[in-house]
Amino acid sequence: MCAWKYKQVMPRITVEKLKLLEPKRITNLVGMSLNHISSELEKTSYRAEICELGTKELSSISLEEALLKNFIKTFEEIMEFSPKDVRLLLSALLMKFETNCVKALLRTKEANLSVEESMNYVIPAGRLSEARCRKILENSENIGDIIDSLSDTEYGPMLEKAFEVYLKDRIFYLLEIALDRYVYHRIWRATGNFWGLDKKIARTVIGLEIDSINVKTILRCKAMGITEPQIRRYLIQESKVFGERELEEAIRGSDIQSIMKSLLESSKRAMARDHRYIFTEIKESHITSLTILETLLDRGLVDTNLRIMKRYTPYFNIGLLLAFFNLKWFEVKNLRAILRGTEAGIPPDRVKKLLIL
Amino acid sequence: MSVELASVHPTRLELLRLKHRKSMADGIVDILKKEVDALTLTLFELIKKRSPLRDKMYATLREAFTLFVEAEMISGSKRIEEASLVAQRIDFKISEETEKGVLGLLFPVFQLVEETQISGLRFNPLDTPANLDKSSSKIKDALQSVVKFAEIEESVKILLDIIAVKKRQMNRLQFKILPELDTNIRYIELILEETERQDSIRVRVLQRKRKERALKHG
Repeated sequence: MCAWKYKQVMPRITVEKLKLLEPKRITNLVGMSLNHISSELEKTSYRAEICELGTKELSSISLEEALLKNFIKTFEEIMEFSPKDVRLLLSALLMKFETNCVKALLRTKEANLSVEESMNYVIPAGRLSEARCRKILENSENIGDIIDSLSDTEYGPMLEKAFEVYLKDRIFYLLEIALDRYVYHRIWRATGNFWGLDKKIARTVIGLEIDSINVKTILRCKAMGITEPQIRRYLIQESKVFGERELEEAIRGSDIQSIMKSLLESSKRAMARDHRYIFTEIKESHITSLTILETLLDRGLVDTNLRIMKRYTPYFNIGLLLAFFNLKWFEVKNLRAILRGTEAGIPPDRVKKLLIL
Repeated sequence: MSVELASVHPTRLELLRLKHRKSMADGIVDILKKEVDALTLTLFELIKKRSPLRDKMYATLREAFTLFVEAEMISGSKRIEEASLVAQRIDFKISEETEKGVLGLLFPVFQLVEETQISGLRFNPLDTPANLDKSSSKIKDALQSVVKFAEIEESVKILLDIIAVKKRQMNRLQFKILPELDTNIRYIELILEETERQDSIRVRVLQRKRKERALKHG
């Protein structure tokens, strides 16, 4: 481990981390009007993006866009000051936002929306700037053309393969799943560039995120009565704790409790204590609602990030950096939930239940 | 109420015919009253069913909307909107049949038919929350309630129309036909009485004249 490489990025992360909103401050926003929330956010790190909204009509969508822009901007700023191997991981993580942009392009083209209408859904990120997205939309008549336009990026060749499957099955989300699986594969591969403690931390944090997505997918598919071979097509096969065998065991579970039991045993076998904490909590709470389970899994991720910050000496490893990004992302998600909940008139109690704090 | 009496033939035969018509009209009024009672009972039964169904429909719609908003809260409004742009479409059709009900009336029976059966997921499971599936299935339940509610509303409308027609018929009989018949019967009876009186006077006059002629010749 070379701690010296973090000399530039860690002070910035520390400053940015101080700008994160405290859980109490976030909870206090629940029940406030959009105007109140917006003026409260103007006192935080989101000030520049909120002020940019200007005379635009204040809505949860415009505010959500501002929050996402802020997140991407912070991400890119930190990435600039990161050492090379960290930058590789961060650029892989940024691909998550790029794929959202690609998905928006594909979805809007599939729905035959005009370029202007389509641009409302596109949030530019990374290499996909607003001008490039507009150009792609203008020069494409169908999703095949969009895939061709993306051939200079890694998404193009990968989507070409998925497009063949899509033409056979005519199920659009198979294209999206292929994108998601590819991005997580890239992120997982990027964690392989580290060594020592950095690798351990990165694999724990990223692995837990992937496992959490897989568990959510399995539970949801089981609830919807999807067949086992189909479930396998949706899983991301990159993890050190829940490998193919463990996921197979989980898929065979008949109900939530048996799936959780199987996953808990797998995490015990792999001696993955962070996984064990999360699945023990879920198993002991005897939950049957998928929404609550999804929230608990996300809370588990936040808790793990906070634990990692305490467990390892800060400033000298990647733990603080990954924890910061995850905490910032969940902050954006919480604010988004509050904004939409407020706008739709959802009772504060119900909004609070969905917050990941 | 003015009654046209000029066309009435003041004969005994006409009187008998009118009396027969009156007793028939009374019978029809009785039958109509019973029919309206039966229809009103059915109407109340339908209205009793309508309230809980409407409450159920609104509750399901509210729940579906809340779940949808929660999905938006978790994944973002735009993302959910985007996902719905390419979600597999479910086409519905409403089949309409009829069923015999009270007094042999034909009531509609609506059935919601799902034309496209989706075996897998409708949305990307890696990108959208479970609430979206729940919301989608709740909306399907709500659609069933909406169709059942429409069926009851249509039946109520049919019943109200029939009751209104029956009431109009009853009113016409009670307040127009029957009074007319009564007036005509009374008129004929009066005419017949008058004719009888005139006949008896004529007989008496003739008898008197006959007596006077007999006295003269005698």
